[in-house]
Amino acid sequence: MVRTAFKSVFAHKVRLLLTGVAIVLGVSLVAGTFIFTDTINAQFDSLLGEIYEGTDVSVRSAGGDFSAATEPFPASVYDDIIAVDGVMAADGGVSSVSAQVLDSDGNPIGGQGPPTLGFSWGDTEALNPIKIQDGNGRPPAGPGEIAIDLNSARNANLELGDMVTVVAFNGPEDFVLVGLTSFGDADSLLGATLISFELEEARSVFGYGDELTGIVVQAEAGVDAADLTAAIAEVLPEGVEAVTGETEQNEQAAEISEGLSFLSVGLLAFAGVSIFVGGFIIQNTFRIIIAQRTRELALLRALGATGRQVRSMVIIEALIVGVVGSVVGIAFGFLLALGIRALMNAVGLGLTQSGMVLLPRTVVIGMTVGVLLTVASSLLPARKASRIPPIAALREDASRTPRRSLHKRAVVGAAVTGTGVALLAIGLFLGVSNPLLYVALGAAIGFIGVSILAPLAARPLADIIGWPMPKLFGVSGQLAKENTKRQPRRTASTASALMVGVALVVFFSVFASSTKASVSETVFELFPADITFQSTNQTDPEVPAVISPEFADDLRMHEELEVVSAMQFGKAVVGGDEKLIAAVDPATIDQVFSLGASDGVVAALVEPETIIVSTSYLEDSGHDVGDTLTIEYLTTGTVDTTIVGVFEANDFSDFAISTDTYVANFRYEGDAVIFANTAEGVSVDEAQDAVAPTVASYGNVKAQTKSDIVTEAENQIDQALVLFTGLLLFAVIIAILGITNTLTLSVYERTQEIGLLRAVGMTRRQVRRMVRWEAVIVATFGALLGVGIGIVLGWAVVKALADEGLGAFSIPVGQVILALILAAGAGVLAAIWPARKAARMNILDAISTE
Amino acid sequence: MTTQTITDIAARMDNGVKTYGEGDAAVHALNGATAEFGRGRFTAIMGPSGSGKSTMLHCLAGLDTLTSGAAYIGDVDLATLKDKDLTLLRRERVGFIFQSFNLIPTLDAQENIVLPLTIAGEKPDTDWYSQIIEILGISDRLDHLPAELSGGQQQRVAAARALVSKPAIIFADEPSGNLDSKSGAELLAFMRRAVKEFEQTIVMVTHDPNTAAYADRVIFLEDGVFVDEMHDPTPDAILDRLKQLGA
Repeated sequence: MVRTAFKSVFAHKVRLLLTGVAIVLGVSLVAGTFIFTDTINAQFDSLLGEIYEGTDVSVRSAGGDFSAATEPFPASVYDDIIAVDGVMAADGGVSSVSAQVLDSDGNPIGGQGPPTLGFSWGDTEALNPIKIQDGNGRPPAGPGEIAIDLNSARNANLELGDMVTVVAFNGPEDFVLVGLTSFGDADSLLGATLISFELEEARSVFGYGDELTGIVVQAEAGVDAADLTAAIAEVLPEGVEAVTGETEQNEQAAEISEGLSFLSVGLLAFAGVSIFVGGFIIQNTFRIIIAQRTRELALLRALGATGRQVRSMVIIEALIVGVVGSVVGIAFGFLLALGIRALMNAVGLGLTQSGMVLLPRTVVIGMTVGVLLTVASSLLPARKASRIPPIAALREDASRTPRRSLHKRAVVGAAVTGTGVALLAIGLFLGVSNPLLYVALGAAIGFIGVSILAPLAARPLADIIGWPMPKLFGVSGQLAKENTKRQPRRTASTASALMVGVALVVFFSVFASSTKASVSETVFELFPADITFQSTNQTDPEVPAVISPEFADDLRMHEELEVVSAMQFGKAVVGGDEKLIAAVDPATIDQVFSLGASDGVVAALVEPETIIVSTSYLEDSGHDVGDTLTIEYLTTGTVDTTIVGVFEANDFSDFAISTDTYVANFRYEGDAVIFANTAEGVSVDEAQDAVAPTVASYGNVKAQTKSDIVTEAENQIDQALVLFTGLLLFAVIIAILGITNTLTLSVYERTQEIGLLRAVGMTRRQVRRMVRWEAVIVATFGALLGVGIGIVLGWAVVKALADEGLGAFSIPVGQVILALILAAGAGVLAAIWPARKAARMNILDAISTE
Repeated sequence: MTTQTITDIAARMDNGVKTYGEGDAAVHALNGATAEFGRGRFTAIMGPSGSGKSTMLHCLAGLDTLTSGAAYIGDVDLATLKDKDLTLLRRERVGFIFQSFNLIPTLDAQENIVLPLTIAGEKPDTDWYSQIIEILGISDRLDHLPAELSGGQQQRVAAARALVSKPAIIFADEPSGNLDSKSGAELLAFMRRAVKEFEQTIVMVTHDPNTAAYADRVIFLEDGVFVDEMHDPTPDAILDRLKQLGA
């Protein structure tokens, strides 16, 4: 049987080729994701290895429950460490992520993608991964001096001796470029802008006192790093900790791979969609091939093969196709990973062109996914094959297994669809712990359910979609329509594959469109301010980047502005969980931002150690106004804080304190958002013009009106939509290949018929047209189902997120129509090859019955 | 051979050669065959298996091309036509009845009958159409799909289709080959009637002397060449002639 299976695979290689493509695409997405993230991980690992090469012990502020600790500690700690036995050298320094570099024309250098990282220069060469090669100047040695990494300097056309501006804690300050730095041997640290100052200067620029944010220690030869770490820990004050260099390196590696796993989970989700769609195609192909081989399989049965043997043969065939497809898929994954990397580099991520990393895990998962997918998809067709009676070898009509009753199909389909819908509802509305899993599973099962029901709709829908075709395209159109109705199951199954991709695209469109509709509502409701100022940098996805504290003061100098109110954010541990806390100016915030609090509530924040919380937090936590909330700050430790009121608008944060309380408990580096209203009689345009020079001098500040904010948010949503649609393209391509595959097999099956049509006078062009319009009907059928499901899914998700401020449900009619048109166009593309094949068919071969 | 004026010839083959394969493996299905088919006549082509009778029909009908020599429909040399013109010629001037698979399964009987006209974007001549289906006795089966018709009914629908566009010539390849004797006889009687009453030209390939006896004239092929012909044949005479050929 195995040999027969092998021979059969080779005999049907063209037919199986397209099946193979479906596997290859699905597996390549999976493998490509792993190869890419593994490669990046390896790259970061080697980078971290370089950074920590000479570091035996790292001393830092004890983070406690905080995920990222960059808190300063007294500089005196350094002297205590130097005195510890076994310490050969130690470097203490400060660092910051809140700086922006401008060239002499005031144009920002870096900071718009990869961050700007500021350091004090470490004098111990073994402990400092930042180097200055011969001919690239010297380290910064005093006030007014800066060193910048070679890559950034080159991109900004900077030379030694040039003046640059750094905007940090003190606002814009000018420096002379004295050194061009390398990171290890590389010109760049993954595209980040690296700036270095002499220690005292760094403290001033970044707003530190007589403090350090970290000390790195080199052990004497023969001294164990762990022992030295323990010895150093003994001399450290409370709130400062020592870890081995290795520990810190591992921590950072873990953090990076966690960040990457977010990316890989996202990519794998889309790979999952492609694989799911591939399953439809593979199952369909095997079913058609088996139908076409009925006589051959029946002959095997007549010659004594058992049903089980026939079934095994089909499954072994699937296994062979699955293995070959998966191997090729993994190879394609390599190319895909190269492509993703090129894309990331194109947006300035500066990933090196090192070798790709292929871990055994990637091969195992890729092969497993590909082979399981193929074999699982062949099970139903294989079962059908095993039920072919031997008599079918002799009598054509004996092969027609009685069609499963429509009633039974309707019941099964409705049950499966219902299960999917139920899971979706649980995930969306019942507040379970992992809603995404329920939603994804529900959607997948729902898709399968609809695909079971789809054959019931195939005939009526084909009639509707194909209604104009006989009128427009004569007999070609009529035959195209009739052909789609011949095997509703085949038509529906082919269309279902496209349905999945289209449904998800439409779902994202509906979601994006609804979000956009809600965004403008929210912005105009929340932001009464005329102009909003925010940083253009991004350092931490959760905490907004800050603008130098000087900026708000500069704004207050402009008489065109009346109210200037700054807002800060910081993370603190509330009730055991790390939360984002907003800080506002109680005196002015009401004029520029709608917290949705009753009169007098925000004003109560002027009392020290007070907080207001969102109504939803109050409900969930069981607290009452007047209760004491224990908050743990990184800088000041545990502080008992009184809840003095509630507010409604929790879009940003569930907690608000006053800026004074913030400054007392956080290290204040700058403002996250600054709101301003124009003075009486000054238009928004005039005010913007007036502050434009100030804004420009900081380089990393954007001034936006309410409609600017809406536009920006809309652009971001559109970009995300484009990205998701792009990732779904794989699934759509697989589905289109599925249409090609089904049509090719159908054309093959209808050889005689096409020959007859040609004999009685159908031109090749008319034959091509017939196949083409059939493809268009199938594609449109799938797209219509997809649009329906996508809209329903979008509606459900929007309803479920109504509490999160997603008020409006909006269908992007234009995009939906475009999707339908594109799907029909995809049908035309899908038909090119089978239509050609049909048109080129030799009439004699076609009509000779022998 | 009967001499006829050129205007009385519906189709002819002139020294037709059809070779399949190359070199040692070359097979000459036609090896210099010459034959003429009179207008308004019912001609049967006979010969043992491998004599080239089907190949001759295919080449005359424009379904296949000769390796050398010429095939004409009327005075049109088929070799001068490109695929598109050949297709149009088949559509306008040629009708077909095959042994099996004559009908498009998705179209009902009526749609199948008018298919060549529909393909051409033309409307059938209503009187002529009614007359045909009347004679063929299929007027009550018109809205049935092929799968719902008996074999005999299917072949009669095919015959109606071949006639409906009033083609210059109808080619039939074992039209009764798959039918029981009663249905076969009905079909052949009808074909004969079409020739007698409507002056239709029919060329039919068959291996069955009883079938061939419905024709006005039988031509015999052997090894790809014309060897003999017989006018107003009877089954016995044909059988005798075939025995001589086989010997």
